[in-house]
Amino acid sequence: MSAPLPEAVLGGLPVAAPAAATRPASSSTWRAFRRQPLGMAALVVLALLVLVAVVGPWVLAAPASYGTLVLAAPGAGHLFGTDALGRDVLAEVVYGTRQSVLVAVAASAIAIVVGTLVAVVGAYVPRLDAVVSVVVDLTLSLPVLPLMILVAALAGPSTTTLVLVVAAFSWPEVTRLVRSQALTVVGLAYVDAARLMTRNHAWIIARHVVPAVTPVIVVSVVVTASRAVLSAAGLAFLGLGDPTSWSWGRILYEAQSAGAMVSAWWLTLFPSLAILALVLSATLVSIAYNDARNPRTAGPA
Amino acid sequence: MSIASFALRRLGRGVLTVWFAVTVTFLLLRLLPGDPALAVSSPTQTEATRALLLTQYGLDKPLAEQYLLYLGQLLRGNLGTSFTQSVPVLDVLAARIPWTILLTVGALVLTVVIGIPLGVLAASRRGGFLDKAVQVFGVTGQSLFVPSIGVLLLFVVGLKLRWAPIGGAYSDGTYGGQWYLSVLHHLVLPGLSLTLVQLGSYVLTLRATLVDALADDYVVLARANGLSERRILWKHALRNALLPATTLIGLQLGFLVGGAVLTETVFAYPGVGRGIYEAVTQLDFPVLQGAFLMLALTVVVANTLTDLVYGWLDPRVKAS
Repeated sequence: MSAPLPEAVLGGLPVAAPAAATRPASSSTWRAFRRQPLGMAALVVLALLVLVAVVGPWVLAAPASYGTLVLAAPGAGHLFGTDALGRDVLAEVVYGTRQSVLVAVAASAIAIVVGTLVAVVGAYVPRLDAVVSVVVDLTLSLPVLPLMILVAALAGPSTTTLVLVVAAFSWPEVTRLVRSQALTVVGLAYVDAARLMTRNHAWIIARHVVPAVTPVIVVSVVVTASRAVLSAAGLAFLGLGDPTSWSWGRILYEAQSAGAMVSAWWLTLFPSLAILALVLSATLVSIAYNDARNPRTAGPA
Repeated sequence: MSIASFALRRLGRGVLTVWFAVTVTFLLLRLLPGDPALAVSSPTQTEATRALLLTQYGLDKPLAEQYLLYLGQLLRGNLGTSFTQSVPVLDVLAARIPWTILLTVGALVLTVVIGIPLGVLAASRRGGFLDKAVQVFGVTGQSLFVPSIGVLLLFVVGLKLRWAPIGGAYSDGTYGGQWYLSVLHHLVLPGLSLTLVQLGSYVLTLRATLVDALADDYVVLARANGLSERRILWKHALRNALLPATTLIGLQLGFLVGGAVLTETVFAYPGVGRGIYEAVTQLDFPVLQGAFLMLALTVVVANTLTDLVYGWLDPRVKAS
């Protein structure tokens, strides 16, 4: 139960995997992580959600059938009740899990790759860094959700749009987190030594700079992914989600459009709980990971 | 650096951000596949009306010229004309922006007013029950989805307890002082929803910096001098701990405005966010674009104000 879990969570994210292999400290981090009950519980919840996302749609029928039982409260036939068109809410939530996890993983993977690349190259090439930091500062000071709304409305609602839009406005946050760490690393003596050995800057960046900023990347994977879940849900809630596939935000949007958001409480409660479970467990995992890496809180290894 | 030149620099930064927002919107509108003229097209639209629309938008001119024209228009306060209402976008939004500002500023004030005592209480009883409770609350708060918490408050406080109205921004048929009271009453639920989402990270940051500050030399010195614990906490440590928390507020303003858009949709609050929701369903691009620029302007103004407050809290900022 213990070892394969982090792979299941981070396996879909290409950046974390190869870099983590070069870190000898990661096994002791994992040992410290395992000692934190809250972090482990969050990791289990996260793994369960991923499991639901992968396996769920095979087990449960798609919520396409228009039943006669409209807005039925949770009961024996429909565990989570039915919506305004008589569809099973449990199936909607399960199919929504796949969509939400997919958007979160895809958007944060793109944001992480772009954000890290910009941050690391910026830190390595001082002349670029000035431009990078201004662009990042300016983008971060804009209201991101309204900007996403504008783009999503223009480009037309689809899962691809959603992923690209969320990624396009998430990478500056990653760059901000990674850049400060990368700037310190680039100034260290071993990077100078590497510069003496080779003129292949891409190799130095890939071999020496990126591994050194990996812990920050792992944390920002989690932060970006949970932000992506919230952003995607927000866009879907405003009617800018993919109308052909289920998402947690879409359930809320349809409940709002049908005017049943409050009267049929199950339409709001279950997708809300799903969002909370995913974001909260991701946050707790990142906190536990930070504590596990911090020698002051990790205890004797 | 004098206060005047400090303020001037922050102002310049604000202007730069607004220019950036304007340029980003301009480029997005031109580079994205969506054709503004096709977007309003109905199956019955003729080639002639499409060409007319394109000329109306000035989309037949070279890109650089379009850009300059666009900037000139904006400087004259012309945000274009709404597709669906055939009135200037500025008129559509001018009626809405005060409500969004009221909601956002209200949530901001509430965050600080609730956040400071909570943070101080948690830090002064470090490791105790209250501290743990505040930390759980803080982490959970960061993970909340605005519409979820909005509907929860609407259900419990609005419908079950009937303590606050569940939608709109004021009661019809009220005047003078009564009207202001009804505005405040209607602000309770949307304001609280937005505050709850924002509060967690504020309290956690404040608590963490305060815990650090309480271990600093100047606090030890103050204790040795026999100052009361209360005075040390509220007067000496808090002033330093407020700095990172204020930075955080500045950083999160953009998120706060995004949250306002969602909150207004839940509570049918007549702000810009609600306007965005309606514009999305009607694909009213000029309104969407204008709304984004208005919100960006709001964030920039609020950010500049936060910076000035920061300069007042920390005199070193002005000196550097």
